[in-house]
Amino acid sequence: MKPWWRDLDRVLRGEATSLDANGEGRLGLPLDRLLLAILLMTMAYGVCMGFYAGFREGGPVVAQWLAVTAKVPCLFFLTLVVTFPSLYVFNALVGSRLTLAAVFELVVGSVAVNVAVLASLGPIVAFFSVSTTSYPFILLLNVLVFLLSGMLGFGFMLRTLGRMIAPRPECIAQQQCDSRHDSLAETECPPEGSEEPSTPVKARLVEEPGSIGGLRGCLLEWRVRTVFACWMMVSTLVCAQMAWVLRPFLGKPSEPFQWFCARESNFFAAVWEAFRTLLM
Amino acid sequence: MNGLWVHIDEILRCRQTAQSRPARAVLLSMIACIVTFGMVYGAVMGSFGGIGGQRLWQAIYSALKVPLLLVGTSLIAWPSFFVLNTLAGLRGDFVRATTALMAAQAGLAIVLASLAPLTIVWYASSSDYGDALRFNGVMFAIACLAGQWLLRDHYRVLIEGDPRHRRMFWIWLGLYVFVAIQMAWVLRPFVGDPNAPVEFLRREKWGNAYLVVVRLIYEALVH
Repeated sequence: MKPWWRDLDRVLRGEATSLDANGEGRLGLPLDRLLLAILLMTMAYGVCMGFYAGFREGGPVVAQWLAVTAKVPCLFFLTLVVTFPSLYVFNALVGSRLTLAAVFELVVGSVAVNVAVLASLGPIVAFFSVSTTSYPFILLLNVLVFLLSGMLGFGFMLRTLGRMIAPRPECIAQQQCDSRHDSLAETECPPEGSEEPSTPVKARLVEEPGSIGGLRGCLLEWRVRTVFACWMMVSTLVCAQMAWVLRPFLGKPSEPFQWFCARESNFFAAVWEAFRTLLM
Repeated sequence: MNGLWVHIDEILRCRQTAQSRPARAVLLSMIACIVTFGMVYGAVMGSFGGIGGQRLWQAIYSALKVPLLLVGTSLIAWPSFFVLNTLAGLRGDFVRATTALMAAQAGLAIVLASLAPLTIVWYASSSDYGDALRFNGVMFAIACLAGQWLLRDHYRVLIEGDPRHRRMFWIWLGLYVFVAIQMAWVLRPFVGDPNAPVEFLRREKWGNAYLVVVRLIYEALVH
């Protein structure tokens, strides 16, 4: 198994982001190999997306196929470059203890999950691209696939964020003891310096395996979570607009190949137009 | 021959997941079942206009296309199912889940083959092409329901072990149906109009099954 594939597999399984793995507030993800995995997965999806141009009536448009294979990785990396600085700054502004490296690891990990799901849906997109001539249908199918994979990527991010910013077991144990010192028997609390949390704390930290399930009982820092939630919305909008800037991805069958289109309209107007055309 | 019947019986009674044979051997035998029984029904399905002359080719084409429909759909939907299972933390059960999926497909093919004699009787009783299409639609619907029944039975064990498999069960059905409808549309004609030339795939544009349905609904609502 290739190292990049093995690391991506560990992220997907949730092993790379489990409580054991991120005890230091960092995930310790191998960023170079994950970035390589992101590049390869996005290129794979680009190839699948390019089937629409490759199996067009009147012969394949090889240049469009190559263009989309290059553009899908660009879409993700450029969106990351544009949105990451603001995420880190606002994360720091609200007083989060996540460092720059930790935030970057989290973002790369969630993008890796996103593109893995995207690439796994590639064969379905390729099949419909080969068998369908309708441009609006393929456009909407791709938007739907990007949306679904993005939602799963964000789900992964929220869950992993919960693990990273959750109070450490010893802190919870100490907090519990402090609050119960006057009213409960002191013997229930762990001795000072003990790393072993009390039984109720352990129960709260029981997690489900996998990477998009629920982590029960975690206390999320509301402000950090709000920053990340806002960032998710912003990065979705940026990604959509970036896709519009980098268009054409599929290439309209009625138009000759071009690397980029002129600046006009916007992503959402185009999606609505495709939806309207589909029904007409 | 006795082994074959035992194997069919095991699939229909959902005993595959309990047996001790290696997973690879079980999967291969199920794929063999899908191909064999799919071909049986496909050959019958394509014999609507008889099997003389060029019409023999329609029976052969249909015999190839039914297994292609079942196996091709599974292959296309399988990668996303794999990643979603991994993400949900169910990778440890994935071989069993795949075995359950293939058992359901094999069951579907067996049910189809068992309905083939009914199709022959129908073809012998009616020469209307539209009726033949509708009859085959009903046969496929029955086989699909039986396949889903089997899948639910195979998945019951998995769901008892981990309730998250229930979500994966519905996700698989969604993916499978989404791809299968288009695959069936692309691979048509299965029955073959006796008045039209025999062909493996329609020469006209492939089109899109969903667009046809959306337009039909739109036209029914607007006009």
